[in-house]
Amino acid sequence: MPVVKLQGIVKQYGNIKASDGVDLEVRNGEYLCLLGPTGAGKTTILRIISGLTKPDHGSVLFDGKPMDKVEPEDRRAVMLSQTYALFPQLTVAENILFGPDIRQYEEEVKERTLADMLDLVRLTHRPDAFPSELSGGMMQRTALARALASGASVLLLDEPLRALDARLRISLRHEVRSLAKSMGITTIHVTHDQDEALVMADRIAVIREGKVVQVGLPGEVFDNPATPFVANFVGQSNFFVGEVEEKKESTSIRGDSGQVVLARPCEQRLGEKVVVGVKVGNTEVHKEGEGYFDGTVERILFEGRNIYLDVDVPGLGRYSSKIPSWRLGRLSVGDRVKINWSADKATVFTMPPEGLEKELRVE
Amino acid sequence: MLMSRLERATEFVSKPVVRKLWTVSFIVFFLCFVIVPTLFVLTYAFTNWGLIQDEVIQDPEIMSQIWTAIGNSFEIAAIVTIIDILVGLPMAWILVRKKFRGKELLDTLIDMPLAVPTAALGFSAAIFWGITPADLTNPLGLKIVSSPFILIILLHIIFSYPYMVRSLAAILEQIDQTFETAGQTLGASKLTAVRTITLPLFRAGLVTGIILCFARSLSETGGTVAALATISNVDFNTAPTLIDSLKSTPALAFTSIVLIILALVLLVIVAIIVKKVHIPFRKVWPRPEKILSRGLSPKLKDATSVLFLVFIVLIPSFFVFTFVFTSEPSTTADWSEFGQSLINSFFIAGVVTVIDLAFGIPLALYIAKNRSKWLPETLDILVNVPLIVPTVALGFSLKLFWTGGTPVTGPFAIFLVMLAHIAFTYPLMVRNVTGAVEEIDPTYEETARTLGAKPVQGFRRVLFPMIKASILAGAIMAFTRSLGETGATRAISTTVLTAPNYIVNLIKLDNDYYTAALACIIVIVISFGLMLALRYLTRRRKGAI
Repeated sequence: MPVVKLQGIVKQYGNIKASDGVDLEVRNGEYLCLLGPTGAGKTTILRIISGLTKPDHGSVLFDGKPMDKVEPEDRRAVMLSQTYALFPQLTVAENILFGPDIRQYEEEVKERTLADMLDLVRLTHRPDAFPSELSGGMMQRTALARALASGASVLLLDEPLRALDARLRISLRHEVRSLAKSMGITTIHVTHDQDEALVMADRIAVIREGKVVQVGLPGEVFDNPATPFVANFVGQSNFFVGEVEEKKESTSIRGDSGQVVLARPCEQRLGEKVVVGVKVGNTEVHKEGEGYFDGTVERILFEGRNIYLDVDVPGLGRYSSKIPSWRLGRLSVGDRVKINWSADKATVFTMPPEGLEKELRVE
Repeated sequence: MLMSRLERATEFVSKPVVRKLWTVSFIVFFLCFVIVPTLFVLTYAFTNWGLIQDEVIQDPEIMSQIWTAIGNSFEIAAIVTIIDILVGLPMAWILVRKKFRGKELLDTLIDMPLAVPTAALGFSAAIFWGITPADLTNPLGLKIVSSPFILIILLHIIFSYPYMVRSLAAILEQIDQTFETAGQTLGASKLTAVRTITLPLFRAGLVTGIILCFARSLSETGGTVAALATISNVDFNTAPTLIDSLKSTPALAFTSIVLIILALVLLVIVAIIVKKVHIPFRKVWPRPEKILSRGLSPKLKDATSVLFLVFIVLIPSFFVFTFVFTSEPSTTADWSEFGQSLINSFFIAGVVTVIDLAFGIPLALYIAKNRSKWLPETLDILVNVPLIVPTVALGFSLKLFWTGGTPVTGPFAIFLVMLAHIAFTYPLMVRNVTGAVEEIDPTYEETARTLGAKPVQGFRRVLFPMIKASILAGAIMAFTRSLGETGATRAISTTVLTAPNYIVNLIKLDNDYYTAALACIIVIVISFGLMLALRYLTRRRKGAI
């Protein structure tokens, strides 16, 4: 199962740079999630790896071998698209055996592969059904079985769970990952759903406007985001703008209106304009006690296990907080509360050149 | 590694070099056998301008003949197209939006005029509507039309009507009904919703319908010649009938050139106008439109559409069946000749269809899959040219291209007739298949490729099964179009023995109305039967997918 490497991939469609110098290495047998907003260029990357689209510049390497002269049908990198693309005039069994048929495996091998696959994706009772008769979940499993049966060594998934019901999506996350892992296939899974990526990935690569912004373990990307965009896209964050005032065991940042907040140690210099990011789950809200600044509770949203609070801080805008729902009885709209966080949960970023608003924008 | 012959062939065909050569060869076929011969007559204007000047332009009698005939053709085509739009739209609506028993029957009947050779339709319509000469015993005919102009209009409506209805129905099927429903929940009456929301979305279908109807009427020869001969009119001419009777090459060339240029220019203008100009009427009249939307009015509109279909299209077409019961049999019939003409017609149509399939499908695939490149786009536009050029001018141009104008006989004439028929049926095949391929998500074939299928395997296993129905539809269209064609055939040789030609000669030269009527009936029955059989096959295939 190969190491897939992308070097300097550039792809332009008219004025739009779908890929703007992408470098990425996916390890042997790794399950990598390519996470980014719509239009970030995720599908383009998959198509370039599979060979369906040729990049303007840059190269794709499988185990160090350049793939530019290799046609899609010879790369053994199978693509599973959002719409599943199950061949409508073939049954489930015929769909699954499409790859083995093309590769002309022997009859016994084909029969065994079919039986194994049907078993693996729990479709043993429906081999003769046509795709039009299947539910969304069954179609997805058939498409997956077809991809795995084809003898491919790289699995390319383009938002595979997008078209499914919420409940089904959650249960299939585990199934898809364990299937890929059990066969040791190098998998690249594209999604815009950060929860999906956090649950399923060995590593996450965050992509935005054709560039890879950060690659790392899910925990790393969540707790140590590289840019404000990543901080807000993977788990929402609150932001505070100011200048670096002091650098000791923690960094002090002074805002325009005089408030001072604390953050982790950082590399930025004294006096530099910075942005502090704190996850909403790490933003504390109390009626009494200490805090960096005060605000009024604007909105309370009940989300089951958590509640989501929007607090309006005069001069600084809205701060959100995610707290366990047993605190619901203690807080109401209109309460005056204090916003606080511990310094080691806040990250300091250099002020982005186009401004914070543009940096955070998802489209 | 041992490879079977099939594997080796697949490997070979998949090489990029071979694929490029294959693409080049069918593009060359298209240009050399379809486009160039069709437009070749235009070069005559440059090579023989002197001749044209002397024999045609300087001769006021011929000039006035030519311009009158061309004027008649365009006027008729315009009137026919407008009527088709007015009556075709409600019928398309009924076909797409309404459900009722007998809809299948209606659907089949509307297509009937497409399957039947126009020469047969021309004779039938003429004896239904027209005042016929004394030696034609016709007690049941209406005998209300004496003007050839009106008769030809009534005739042309018969076979252009299906084109309009089908074009409009195709677009209507794609328009999401939820737009209208949304309009209605916002307070608009049904008529207002349709007029202001749905109809503007129609424009593409309207353009197609207008172009097809107009061009069909302009081209029409067989039925027109038969009808005019039946009412024994020698003075009235449309451009195709004039070409049919002219003998001198410069005059023929001149008329053809003018026809081609005017047709192309006019249709380009129409396409631009209909696409750019908004069908106006943003203004809404709520109360009158509400009244028209309810109660009797819509039912009246539907009834009128159906009555129009029956009385203007179907009854005149089948009227010839009554003729044999009311007339005296003739004694001079030569049925072996008729049998031979039928065999020839079917043979020609068969060969033409096979060639259309072999060379049309690759071109259609090439165009459909390469939408953004200039060469496929240009080819897409060029493919429509033979559809617009009047077939009689096309036939003459082709003859000029291959023989330089000398008369042709025997097998060579049949060969040229085949080439001519290929020229105007090929676009039908390409359009059908292109349209079908474009409907299909490219993801299917791409997925097949990533599963290990070479492009040719992807086509055979994935794409081809999905477009089988459209390929069949294209083949049927090509076959019946060739079967029914008279103009191009006669332009190449008036003596070549095809069924429509045989009928026309019976009426025009022999005045043998009885035999002509019998021949018409046989031809109608066979064509209609063929069409029904093939529709049945298509329906079953569609069900499987």
